[in-house]
Amino acid sequence: MTMIEQVRAQVTEKLAELDGVIGLRQTAVGTAPYLFQDGNSLSQLVLNPRYPLASVVSLLQKRYPEARFGVVVRGCDVRALVEMTKREQIDPDRLHLFGVACIAEEAEECHCADPAPDLTAWPTAELIGTPVEGAPPNPIIAEYETMSLEERRTFWKQQFLKCIKCYGCRDICPECFCESCALEDPLWVERGVLAPSFPMFHLIRAMHMASRCVACRQCELACPAHIPLTVLYDLIRRDVGDLLEYAPGADIAAAPPLALTLEEAPVRTELA
Amino acid sequence: MNDTFEPRIVAFLCNWCSYAGADNAGIARMESPANVLPIRVMCSGRVSPEMILRAFRSGADGVLVLGCHIGDCHYISGNHRTIKRVPLVRNLLGYVGVNPDRLRLDWVSSAEAPKFAKVTREFVETVRALGPIAEEMEQ
Repeated sequence: MTMIEQVRAQVTEKLAELDGVIGLRQTAVGTAPYLFQDGNSLSQLVLNPRYPLASVVSLLQKRYPEARFGVVVRGCDVRALVEMTKREQIDPDRLHLFGVACIAEEAEECHCADPAPDLTAWPTAELIGTPVEGAPPNPIIAEYETMSLEERRTFWKQQFLKCIKCYGCRDICPECFCESCALEDPLWVERGVLAPSFPMFHLIRAMHMASRCVACRQCELACPAHIPLTVLYDLIRRDVGDLLEYAPGADIAAAPPLALTLEEAPVRTELA
Repeated sequence: MNDTFEPRIVAFLCNWCSYAGADNAGIARMESPANVLPIRVMCSGRVSPEMILRAFRSGADGVLVLGCHIGDCHYISGNHRTIKRVPLVRNLLGYVGVNPDRLRLDWVSSAEAPKFAKVTREFVETVRALGPIAEEMEQ
């Protein structure tokens, strides 16, 4: 049985107990998130292309406050769900996870350190497929240490100049759910300026990713200008790990540290 | 660097400690550099990354964030946020090629007028050595 057949079989088995299963549906016109409620439509359930279904789960849970849904998730989706749960965007008690283990090639493509969905903290969940080891980090991260300030500047200026300010990175991000967004506030991001004035747009977004980014890489995949955003977010995630000993998406019991007191969440300023 | 370069410094001063410290430095007629443009905020924890970045965007050659010492915050733990946030912004500036030394966080109580004078003097010299920010900000 192939992976997708296995996923379809397990979803079929659980479908009757749930109010629907959120997954990707492929039709003649394209692939999009879909709430599967009828077993017959499950032949259209697919795993690719990757899409952050956590945002869809959040929307549907808010729209149907009594419903109990299932969702087909990868490791990064589970991490996104964890961070969203901490920020009251997801109700884990009304969610059943079908965790799909990414294969080694997929992990490598994403430089994913943690491709296996971590389902231990979830009330009901099942794992499909065989988890693989994490892939090595993006080699650019190691190179970064040796780059001078001027080289970094040249690199990012070239990248940021390509930005068409489509907000695709924000819109696709499972952790971007604020009702009012700093990136739309003319106080911080000037309207009608392309590319957005350095350093406002991109650094604001990068700072907002601190203690949130779960390395799902969706922003980079969504970016029509191919800006390697995850390089910046990987560096920020590393700093949050070093300074605040916090790994977004890892432990559902660990509160996000930036808004906590030093007693609750210390900072290792000697590293700053 | 050319001798005529006078850095422009934006200093975010917390209302309860550092602004009073700056005030006392003035009252005591201590010498502190005129390069510093003070902006009074209710707490150093109010200083968002957006504010820091906008100061740089608007032409500040350096940004100084001064707050109450840890443990002395008027709001108990406002500055606990500052101490976590500012190092992250510093690193981030470095990652995109803006010298992180252009951003400094320090603690100045209302009784530390001499420290206010010292920190501002030091910082102006640090930024003077780094030169104008224009090149680092240009697109």
